[in-house]
Amino acid sequence: MALTKDRLWKVYRDMVLIRRFEEEVEKYAQNGTIPGFIHLSIGQEAAQAGVVEALKQTDYKFPDHRGHGAIVLSSPEERRKNCMSEIFAKETGINHGRGGSMHVNDLDARNMGFNGIQGSTVVTCLGTAFDSYYRKANKMEGWESDDRDLDVTAVFMGDGTLGEGTCHESMNMAATWKLPIIYCLINNQYAISTHYTESHPQKQLATWGEGYEVPSFTVDGNDIEAVIEVVEKAAERARKGEGPTLIEFMTYRWQGHFSGDPAAYRPDGELEAWKEKCPLVLAKKKLMEVHGYSEEELDALHAEVEEEIQGYVKFSLESPSPKAEDAVKFVYMDREVEGR
Amino acid sequence: MTRKISFSGAINEALHQEMERDETVFILGEDVAKMGGDFGITKGIWLKWPHRAYDTALSEQAILGLCNGAAVCGLKPVAELMFADFVGVCYDQLVNNAAKLCYMYDGQASAQIVVRAVTGGGIRCAYHHSQCIEPWLMNIPGLVIVAPSNAYEAKGLLVSAIRNPNPVVFLEHKLLYNTKAEVPEELYDIELYKAKVVKEGTDITMVAAMTMMAFAEKAAKELEKEGISVEIVNPLTIFPLDKETIVDSVAKTGRLVVVQEGPKVMGYAAEIGAMVVEDIFEYLKAPIRRVTSLDVPVPFAPVQEDYVLPQYDEVIKACHEVMTF
Ligand SMILES: Cc1ncc(C[n+]2csc(CCOP(=O)(O)OP(=O)(O)O)c2C)c(N)n1
Repeated sequence: MALTKDRLWKVYRDMVLIRRFEEEVEKYAQNGTIPGFIHLSIGQEAAQAGVVEALKQTDYKFPDHRGHGAIVLSSPEERRKNCMSEIFAKETGINHGRGGSMHVNDLDARNMGFNGIQGSTVVTCLGTAFDSYYRKANKMEGWESDDRDLDVTAVFMGDGTLGEGTCHESMNMAATWKLPIIYCLINNQYAISTHYTESHPQKQLATWGEGYEVPSFTVDGNDIEAVIEVVEKAAERARKGEGPTLIEFMTYRWQGHFSGDPAAYRPDGELEAWKEKCPLVLAKKKLMEVHGYSEEELDALHAEVEEEIQGYVKFSLESPSPKAEDAVKFVYMDREVEGR
Repeated sequence: MTRKISFSGAINEALHQEMERDETVFILGEDVAKMGGDFGITKGIWLKWPHRAYDTALSEQAILGLCNGAAVCGLKPVAELMFADFVGVCYDQLVNNAAKLCYMYDGQASAQIVVRAVTGGGIRCAYHHSQCIEPWLMNIPGLVIVAPSNAYEAKGLLVSAIRNPNPVVFLEHKLLYNTKAEVPEELYDIELYKAKVVKEGTDITMVAAMTMMAFAEKAAKELEKEGISVEIVNPLTIFPLDKETIVDSVAKTGRLVVVQEGPKVMGYAAEIGAMVVEDIFEYLKAPIRRVTSLDVPVPFAPVQEDYVLPQYDEVIKACHEVMTF
């Protein structure tokens, strides 16, 4: 599906935003300003930008640990800087520095956050999908009308994560009950050092869905147009109560597993070959060759994104750390925990 | 011959040497073979024995299940949990299976497995990668939990863990990996179920394990200047605890301070305290004191993580309290 000129322009901008967001995060992780482990998704921007683009703001998203892109794009513009300051462990962080890179969530944006335990969200997402299914079945307030669509839940998971038993349990239940879930399987080839062909017997992991009668697709995860097309179809099915879809996005992670991993386990030349298929370059080419955008127009877009990102960085650097004693907040909903 | 090597190097050496000696020992886990482990602990094993080191899928439950079954057949699996927190994913295999196999087979077979688990806080990885999981497992008869605090102990205890006929959870604190100590080149073991009196003293018994040992040693030095003599006991095997060594020490000093990284409620500090009160109440000169984390999940922001973890000042304060009661 070819996107309209304007829509392709918009998602190209989204991808540039993710790329620059991640490059800045990488920079400040390397120089020690950002604490903890950082997992970057450079090279995988199309799968994140495309999924978010194809969904509504009211749909539930469960990003993965490499999901900075999905996180930032899910948040409304005024809160995007808070996503970055969360990664910087700051009080202004969207979770007040409590979670950090791996756990950024924004409930108002229906970004349900990642869980440090791989596979956990793949079953948690049954619940958000179940919610509208249940409300509709019981004709609860706001759901009286039969033509109201279900809210979609999109859960991101890596090729490695598919090894967790939760993925089987989730797909089985979702398929049986026709829950509105889109399983976004980001096949970036590796789980840390292990190539997906070394931990799964299938050549294409999407075939996994067949056992559960879940419609499954493998698409070029670097082609933003292909991503949006397949997710929109899956979302339509889900909204109508026709059940889950499994989509395998073939892509590649350019960096090591975490910022600082030299990724010595990759064969020579593999990264370079994938860089040729950079999702940003592909989209940019289309914008220029098919839609007639000029180099200057694209430069202007890059400059605009740059300014935005520098704004996030400045905000993050200037924000204060949280108060130590606030660490005891929110352990329970209804009671306080004693501090020191 | 001894020389100084790191905690991670000591574990690696123990694996190499014990695998050399016993061909039924093999390793498995996520990225442990080709890459040599996410923390580099299993380096070189796959190169030496390509059929004794297995990279698995992300499937902790399957990893542990495989270990249990293989152990019943006589193999000695050493599995790695990249972070101890992932015990949650394979809890059933550990708790309902590994821990019960010996009981279930009337002692004819057992789960002779070692689960190496990377534990503890301090690296700003927030609530799913920083927990002290030993209390999650201490209520499970049949399990053994071992916790070295330096490279020397790591090597000897791991060798014993592999040779021990029970399921052993071997805790490796991530902040200890780069610490160095004198370690013999040759293979040696350190008895399990046996606490170590690290330093003798007469006024206070301080029990500490893993990274908390550094607090204990520093506190003992500082308090010595005030004329307070601290005896430091390291349980080494956190479960089952060596009651005798701990109780004997407290009977001598009459005062107990336990320093423990994890949350306070139901931690091993609580168990040690109860044990002492139950057994030698009449010897106690002061109430026992526990210095622990807050009962709070481990947060990400450095100032908050540091705040939640046990504080050194509180160790000193606890000692003064038991001395002036
Ligand atoms: C239950 C569990 N096991 C292991 C890990 C450690 N771990 C974190 S990311 C990762 C690899 C994930 O690979 P994949 O799902 O392919 O995602 P990618 O990192 O490639 O984006 C592993 C093993 C974890 N976080 N949770």
